[in-house]
Amino acid sequence: MAPVALAGYRALVQRALTSCAWQANRGRLLLSVFGVALGVALGVAVHLINGSAINEFTVAARTLSGDANLVVRGPLEGFDENIYPLIARLAGVDVASPALELDIRLPSRRPLHLIAVDAFRALRIQPALFGSEFRQIYALLASDAIVLSHAAAEDLGLREGSRLIAQVGTQSVPLRVIAVLPPEVTAQRVAFADIATAQWRLQRLGLLDRIDIRVAPGADTQDIAAKIAALLPPGVQVSDTDSQSRQAEGMTRAYRVNLNMLALVALFTGSFLVFATQALTILQRRGEIAILRVLGVTRGGVMRILLTESLIIGAVGSALGLVLGFALAWFAVSRFGGDLGAGYFIGMTVHLHQDPAALALYFALGVGAAVAGCVVPAWKAAASDPAPALKAANAIETTASARPHWPGLGLLAATLPLALLPPIHGLPVGGYAAVAVLLAGALWLAPAVAERLLRGLPSPRGAVALIAVQQLRGVNSQLGISISAIVVSFSLMAAMLIMIGSFRGSLEAWLRDILPADAYVRAGGAGQTGFLDAATLRTVAALPAVARIAALRIQEIRLQPGQVPVTLLARDLELANPEALPLLQAGADKLRSNLPPVWISEAAADLYGWSVGSEVNVALGGTNTRYAVAGIWRDYTRQNGTLLIERARYIAATGDTRANDVWVWLAPGHSVETLLEEVNHSLGAAGLVEVRNTASIRKTSLAVFDRTFAVTYLLEAVAVLIGLFGISVGCSSQVLARRAEFGMLRHVGVTRGQIAALLGIEGLLAGAIGITYGLVTGGAISLVLIHVINRQSFHWSMDLHVPVLALVLVSAVLVLAATGTAMASGRRAMTGQPIAAVKEDW
Amino acid sequence: MNRRRFVMLPLGMLTIAQASRNARGAPYPAVVPGRVLRFPEDEGSHPGFRIEWWYATGWLFDDAKRPLGFQITFFRNRAVDTGGNPSRFAPEQLIVAHAALSDPQRGHLLHEQQIARSGFGLADAASGITDARIGNWFLRAGGDTLRASTAGREFSLDLTLRRTQPPLLHGEQGFSRKGPGPESGSYYYTLPHLAVDGSIVTGGKAIRVSGTAWLDHEWSTAPMESQATGWDWIGINLDDGGALMAFRMRAGSGATLWSGATLRHADGRTQTFAPQQVTWTSVRQWRSTRTDATYPVAWRVAVGDLLLELEPLMDDQEQDARGSTGTVYWEGAITARSGDRIVGRGYLELTGYWRAFRL
Amino acid sequence: MLSIRKLSKTYTGASQRHVLQDLDLELGAGEYVAIMGESGIGKSTLLNLIAGLDTPDSGSISIAGTELSALDDYARTLRRRRDIGFVFQAFHLLPRLSVAQNIALPLYLLGVAREAAAERAHAMLERLRLADRAADLPRTLSSGQMQRVAIGRALIHRPRLVLADEPTGNLDPENAALVLDLLKRELAATNAAALLVTHSHAAAATTQRALALTASGLQPARV
Repeated sequence: MAPVALAGYRALVQRALTSCAWQANRGRLLLSVFGVALGVALGVAVHLINGSAINEFTVAARTLSGDANLVVRGPLEGFDENIYPLIARLAGVDVASPALELDIRLPSRRPLHLIAVDAFRALRIQPALFGSEFRQIYALLASDAIVLSHAAAEDLGLREGSRLIAQVGTQSVPLRVIAVLPPEVTAQRVAFADIATAQWRLQRLGLLDRIDIRVAPGADTQDIAAKIAALLPPGVQVSDTDSQSRQAEGMTRAYRVNLNMLALVALFTGSFLVFATQALTILQRRGEIAILRVLGVTRGGVMRILLTESLIIGAVGSALGLVLGFALAWFAVSRFGGDLGAGYFIGMTVHLHQDPAALALYFALGVGAAVAGCVVPAWKAAASDPAPALKAANAIETTASARPHWPGLGLLAATLPLALLPPIHGLPVGGYAAVAVLLAGALWLAPAVAERLLRGLPSPRGAVALIAVQQLRGVNSQLGISISAIVVSFSLMAAMLIMIGSFRGSLEAWLRDILPADAYVRAGGAGQTGFLDAATLRTVAALPAVARIAALRIQEIRLQPGQVPVTLLARDLELANPEALPLLQAGADKLRSNLPPVWISEAAADLYGWSVGSEVNVALGGTNTRYAVAGIWRDYTRQNGTLLIERARYIAATGDTRANDVWVWLAPGHSVETLLEEVNHSLGAAGLVEVRNTASIRKTSLAVFDRTFAVTYLLEAVAVLIGLFGISVGCSSQVLARRAEFGMLRHVGVTRGQIAALLGIEGLLAGAIGITYGLVTGGAISLVLIHVINRQSFHWSMDLHVPVLALVLVSAVLVLAATGTAMASGRRAMTGQPIAAVKEDW
Repeated sequence: MNRRRFVMLPLGMLTIAQASRNARGAPYPAVVPGRVLRFPEDEGSHPGFRIEWWYATGWLFDDAKRPLGFQITFFRNRAVDTGGNPSRFAPEQLIVAHAALSDPQRGHLLHEQQIARSGFGLADAASGITDARIGNWFLRAGGDTLRASTAGREFSLDLTLRRTQPPLLHGEQGFSRKGPGPESGSYYYTLPHLAVDGSIVTGGKAIRVSGTAWLDHEWSTAPMESQATGWDWIGINLDDGGALMAFRMRAGSGATLWSGATLRHADGRTQTFAPQQVTWTSVRQWRSTRTDATYPVAWRVAVGDLLLELEPLMDDQEQDARGSTGTVYWEGAITARSGDRIVGRGYLELTGYWRAFRL
Repeated sequence: MLSIRKLSKTYTGASQRHVLQDLDLELGAGEYVAIMGESGIGKSTLLNLIAGLDTPDSGSISIAGTELSALDDYARTLRRRRDIGFVFQAFHLLPRLSVAQNIALPLYLLGVAREAAAERAHAMLERLRLADRAADLPRTLSSGQMQRVAIGRALIHRPRLVLADEPTGNLDPENAALVLDLLKRELAATNAAALLVTHSHAAAATTQRALALTASGLQPARV
């Protein structure tokens, strides 16, 4: 046959073959396409959401920093305004624009971020923000004027001329909305005011939070930065403006990477689904492939035909996935916000950020996953000898020869050293690798494990059960394939369940430790305008309902330039026995130095490399004081590090006698309700301070926790759904292959119900094996998640809490689902004519 | 002369100025006839009054005797009711500064400006002596000279202005009436015939210049009359050593609402003129293609017996300040002829031709 | 044993319409009858109707006095399980069950105790001369051996009626003779009635009588 003619013939054959395969495997092919689509969709959605949030953040940061080259920042409570003229007068400084930045506490609303500037200066650096309406700049000088962004006005239901009541300390301060910015200026929920207004009305006289600096043309930015740095007191730092968005990115990176990993897991599972489908389809089509080979199609030709098919599956699935992912991202962003409820980007309206390069990448990943899933089975099909294949074409044979165990065992063994690697750029790369290797090893060993398990099963007495067990024993390697997807997805789900369960369990225990008082009176969070002043503290302490109080001041301070600030807690505490400190390592008694003690969180220990006994410089009130680390404690609230010191020392250093919270131990016979009444009465205004008991704080905290992980559950559920497809694919291909068998069984008097039961038992066993194996693998993965990935990503240690009930329930549901899936996929065999089935086999 | 420089201030500021009439802050001192101006004390700032400016204009020549016009202005504005805000950022006083350069070779104005609130020693107008500054811009008196420096992106001026004559008081011994009613007026004097030496930097290149300038200092509280929509003003150093200031307030119809003039003869004799003694006759119009505003850039002005033909250094001396202060006007160097002989050089200001200017 | 009266069935085959019309057939216990006829004339349809896998348009089929049309699918399935044995052209052994398990399958389905079933399967294997292959999987057998196992499976539970559809269709003549011989012997041993559908005159010749299925019905055929 001439090559040309052969080529034409081959195309014809391929078309016939492909359309046949399509006819016979429509459902399975659709599942494959859908599996790839789901994987791609999740990846795209997660990427889009992350990208959009970061983009929004960057855009916002850029709008806010404008043309500034440098920015001076200090602790959360600000720094001395006298630094400003020194910097403004420096040669080479073109513009220095001072700013206050704080959150206005609003009664019963989310706090409103406020940026207060000298607009005459700010407009030279941030023309986009302040240059649009010159008239407003003058109007803004009025001492009660604020301007709202479009988002803020919408959210608060305010417009030009409205009054806004801000809570400052425990007082109400009326402000006047003189204008609402058009939406294109900024998407943030933010307010602007004159710096003098903010200093006075919001009780921040003499303080600045930020100085934006534009360097004169031709001046050397680094040189100017050095000159500025020389002017700054400890704790106040100058950095270039890019570092701000880098910080935002760094803050959320671990969270985003983890989400991306979950999305990749879905894609990976999708790839396994394609693998399972193609492997089984190709096994089924061995006869046809053998005919092709006999007719002169080369091995490469067979590979090409099969890979083309998977390419089509991948392309269609990926295209579908892009659309789905876009829809998903849009839904998620509009529903949960840009950080999917994790709370990183509060106050920001996020618009979907389109990123063609990333979309193309995910499309390629989807196609790649489909093709990769097909390569091994296609290669096997092409490599097999046509003659025996032709002869035994009808029977799906167990072609996989016993493969050695050592690669799988080797992979498992590699898990440990990988898990022990330190983080790279703050990311748990070793941990991810450990999980991947662990999964790969587990998958390699899956057929062997399945065989062991089935061999251990006693031969059942009933004919149906006997056939089912014998069937599974016979198709051992295929069973490995069918369950691979569910092993992958379920092991990860189990791992996540265990990790989240451990986290939640540890969090509950932690909340018990960290909330020792009966009630908590709060006037405002860190950086908010609400606070309790010294007089109010005395008033509260003297209330009849109060036995004793401890006041807490929450600060943020900067330890190193360019670093995200750490939280400083200043609390009334007893040195010997600091309450509410879930200590992991104590050592106050062992301290040789007579430096004052600081208790640091795990994150601070991780990020700054400190341990018990380390000496730490804490800059407060413009001076450095050396502290000694007296203990390391667990802080689930903050990722960037927390330092706890005695409030008396804080007051001595800063003169700041304000408090954010006060912890109250009730006098005997008093309740939180009577405390609330007394507090409101004594402050003369209701609703300005929150009085909460431990139970309600715990409830809120756990609700926030659950909301944060809601998306994780969603991603996991999708991955498991894809895994179930795998079982369905395995079953339906089996059913197709065994139609003649079922026909014969119907002839010899097996009822429809018995055939359903037969398939059900097979599904049950396959599911049970896959899920049991997945559970064991997942348990191992969860240890990596808890002790490596989570620890390195978020610097939170946790104790293992296995959510047994949840795992059992989910496992049972999945085994049932697998059984149902198998029975459903057998419907075709049961409804088809047994006569036709026994006839059509050759 | 307060009507004249209002144009330099943004509309929004004036809105506040109006609002602040009911302010709780300290009341503005009244502008009344009879106050005796004292020197040098009155050359400094009068922070109680609502508005005040030091306005230098003049002709400069480079080494090649090429003519250039310049303008440097410092405004002080107490326009905002700070409500007693103790913050050091409280905008008690706003300082605004403008600098402009008329170069016939360029064909249009170069313009720079600064705005700041007073405080922290970064922007201020001192009392008792002429000393106003914003950042590195300043106008400062020392001995018999004043120094002005404005460093900008497009051009920088660094000039020394030496006094050659005593202050010229306008109106009734420095009380300058602005309309038919007694309520509008300002304290107003001029230092004419200042001898200028200094340098101009454009495009990174510095040139030495010298010439003659005119410095107005005026402070007031009362706004312009409500019917006025603009004004025309000249300040001319006459070649014989005399000095002429003339202005008229215009209604929307173009009719003259009020006018006035002060002429100091070469011998030091000073004449003030009543409204009916001053007439303005437009000779030539120039239309700005940027704003479509039409300005009468050449004039025939009669003050008493003196008849002057005014011709601009160049037609396009329009200042487009919409991007900052929200208005457009014409402020430019002119020559004054009597017959076919040049008898003086000075500045012409035309406001309200782009849009009616109202309070 | 088997009584067919006025059996009619219209059905559509691969390319044309076929009709079984007013068919009558009586089969006594132990009677062994061949049915011959052209391809597509309806031989297999007749077997399916008798097996209760297909339902006639009219007429009656009764097996051991029970009218099939009175039974639902479930009851017909159970009757099939108890009373009928099948031999297929393509053997249809279960690939994952051993030879012995394949033979014992009907006994498992009937709930015979595992040990008893194994004993009877073993006895059957002895008769089939396949005792040494009891534990092997079907795919290790030759075609003739597979069909012998199929015959064993068809008869192990002592059915009243055996339906054999071209049992020698996939066999060479030598094996075909062996299988037919075996079938005949085992039928005699169990006193089961049997219908053998075949194209082969040689095969038909091993039965007690041969009928030809034509468009006008069943007629005695010369072999």
